[in-house]
Amino acid sequence: MTGKIKRMIETIIEKRSNGNEILKNTTRTKLIIKGYNPERWTLQSEDDPAKITELKQIARDMGVEL
Amino acid sequence: MSVITASTTASSVEQAINEIREQCSGISPRLVLFFASSRYDPASVSRAMHDAFSGAQVLGCSTAGEIISGRVMKDSIVAMAFDERTIEGATCSVVTDVTSPDSLADAVRGLEEEIGTPLRELDFQRYVGVILIDGLSGSEERVMDRLGDMTDVTFIGGSAGDDLNFRSTYVYLNGAAYTNAAVLALLKPAGEFDIIKTQSFRTLEAVLVPTKVNEERREVMEINNMPATLAYARALGVSVEEAPKRFMHNPVGLVTGDDFFVRSPRQIEGDSILFYCMVKEGMELALLESTDIIEDTRRAVNEKVRQLGGASALINFHCILRALELEGNGQGGEYGALFTDIPTIGFSTYGEEYIGHINQTSTMLIFK
Repeated sequence: MTGKIKRMIETIIEKRSNGNEILKNTTRTKLIIKGYNPERWTLQSEDDPAKITELKQIARDMGVEL
Repeated sequence: MSVITASTTASSVEQAINEIREQCSGISPRLVLFFASSRYDPASVSRAMHDAFSGAQVLGCSTAGEIISGRVMKDSIVAMAFDERTIEGATCSVVTDVTSPDSLADAVRGLEEEIGTPLRELDFQRYVGVILIDGLSGSEERVMDRLGDMTDVTFIGGSAGDDLNFRSTYVYLNGAAYTNAAVLALLKPAGEFDIIKTQSFRTLEAVLVPTKVNEERREVMEINNMPATLAYARALGVSVEEAPKRFMHNPVGLVTGDDFFVRSPRQIEGDSILFYCMVKEGMELALLESTDIIEDTRRAVNEKVRQLGGASALINFHCILRALELEGNGQGGEYGALFTDIPTIGFSTYGEEYIGHINQTSTMLIFK
């Protein structure tokens, strides 16, 4: 399966920023610093279970429900 | 005058703080921010500053050099006093142990209780945070990461220094001095404010991907599946022995769209490179090459002042590595002169904070 990580990243950005463009950029930067560069993940990226678990925790830490 | 800057090189704490107080006599401050050389006893300087401005929130930290409007200083204290015309509200708390997530949570809870609103709900366009944090704890990344999770408010600041002694650094709040700690200040500026983040590098073509790291030690063991030292040296076309001489001139940058966050190599240990900042496995890092700090800073500050339509105050968190480079080039005075026309204080930091932890950068908070 592929694409789950990309979709999770985009959901975190959308929900955390609530549509605000400045917050979208800030959230992207925060995710890059955490090691999840949105540009590096695509819908063809493999669903790595370890990464998915880590992203779920990041979402929880950021107050985002996936 | 809604902002006053003050400085002193008096050697005794008592005389120094008297001079600071006298220079600030024209203002009834809501907030006083100060940066003090490590030659001043931490407990004494914090207590004396608090006593001198007992009606205000008084926060600061130890430094590795200071900046005041138009000048770079050493062995001094610089201060900036704000009244309610610039800072409507200031709420502060201490993270008493920067290695403890609970301690950070307690400090944030303290801020929230005082302002009566969860940090998560604060309007990031009306509030800004300042963080002063122990510069030898190696904890900045985790604190900034967690703070960024908890709020949309931007926290900007610097890692305290100790004049390159690398023994202990201090942060100060309302009469007390803390080590292994951080001070958080949540500010509600009366008018517009903005952030300047400036670093003087351009990206080279080489991309370095750490493939084996020890995040806790800020250690990179392998890059591009090669020993880190070898990969870095090859990217520059130099020998491994030559590589450390290039660290200041050629750090690496975590690219974030049009910008990058600098990560500076500190030293070689075996085949590993130790950094001044945590690097994660799999991050794409651009190799960087230094450019002109004076010109880049001038451009960044002028552009922001133009956008804001003026500046009433500026706080500069200026990396010690930049300060050392400027000093080595005999450009320290020229750098200070960039801030002649703006009421400014700042200090030479052991790291800069803005969204995350950064190296070889200046992060600045500017008020219209």
